[in-house]
Amino acid sequence: MHISYGVLSFPVVAVGWCVTLALLAITLRWGTKDRGIAEEIPKVSVMTGAFFVASLVHIPVPPTSVHLILNGLLGVVLGVLAYPALFIGLTLQSLLFSFGGIDALGVNTMNMGVPALIAYGVFRTGCRRGAPMALLGAICGGLAIFASAILMAICLITTGKEFVDVAKVAVASHIPIMIIEAVITGSVVAFLAKVEPEMLPVDKEDERR
Amino acid sequence: MKAIRIMSLLALVLILCTAFCPLTSAHRVYVREQVKEMQIKAWYGGGYPMAYADVTIYANSTSGEELYLKGKTDKEGMYYFTPKLGVSGYRVVVEATGHRAEKEFDLTGGSQETAELPLYMRILAGFGYLIGLAGIGMIFSARKLKKEYGNK
Repeated sequence: MHISYGVLSFPVVAVGWCVTLALLAITLRWGTKDRGIAEEIPKVSVMTGAFFVASLVHIPVPPTSVHLILNGLLGVVLGVLAYPALFIGLTLQSLLFSFGGIDALGVNTMNMGVPALIAYGVFRTGCRRGAPMALLGAICGGLAIFASAILMAICLITTGKEFVDVAKVAVASHIPIMIIEAVITGSVVAFLAKVEPEMLPVDKEDERR
Repeated sequence: MKAIRIMSLLALVLILCTAFCPLTSAHRVYVREQVKEMQIKAWYGGGYPMAYADVTIYANSTSGEELYLKGKTDKEGMYYFTPKLGVSGYRVVVEATGHRAEKEFDLTGGSQETAELPLYMRILAGFGYLIGLAGIGMIFSARKLKKEYGNK
């Protein structure tokens, strides 16, 4: 899922950085608006750690190899703060595991962070409508990976490849990850809803209203 | 009869001459070694081979770098090529759906492996950075809280 250094054309790299910097500013302000960052830091740190390490779980899918991403889980648990969390996690991954590269960091954060925000949006609206949380979590986990694969395909066409082919490969090779992450996200959400409901961003907002 | 004798004597002298001075009047010759085949192996983190990935090989000679070959890895992530005669420096780029790895090597000196920390150390380092970042965040928020309470 990480796009490596040197693959992308300059305009895509530039757009990725612009989107990432803008979204970082927005999400940081929005996420810490009414509770302050102090209460969020432990949760964000733990989830960033999980994201950082999850990428080491490789699953061979011929002809390529994919790994866990957990961006849907981050979106569901952290809300908008998933974006800065992913940014930090990706920075560490590119520095320590040489996944992606520093110049592709903007694009990679966009490709994983935007789906995380989408997952959060879907989860929140779904919860308000009273859908079962575990099921919603599972859907969001799978959806985030799907959206990431599509975004990655869009970025890769600038290297001159046919969009449909790249998108097919990207989505097809991530189908196992979609299923695995749907299960992980679903069960984590079910667990949190039972044990520690205030960990989920939705309940806080519902309580406040 | 006499003529034949003289002829054979001359022939013998000639043969002896060539036998005693074999090296004197040769042209200068050169020998150059050649590695006939290079194997390139590409694999993903976790050990799974990069099958059917695009391979681009650049030759590094004194006149600069130039594109030498393009191809694809096989099912096992292997790629074979014959080096250019007289060029020992190569840069290999392997690319597949957004994954990319690059390696520069020299046939005479082998490839330079960059020393890398073991994986568990890198994981620990990552957590170290995270804890540090969390700590910095905590300091800032604590300062804010202090200010708020100080005003009250």
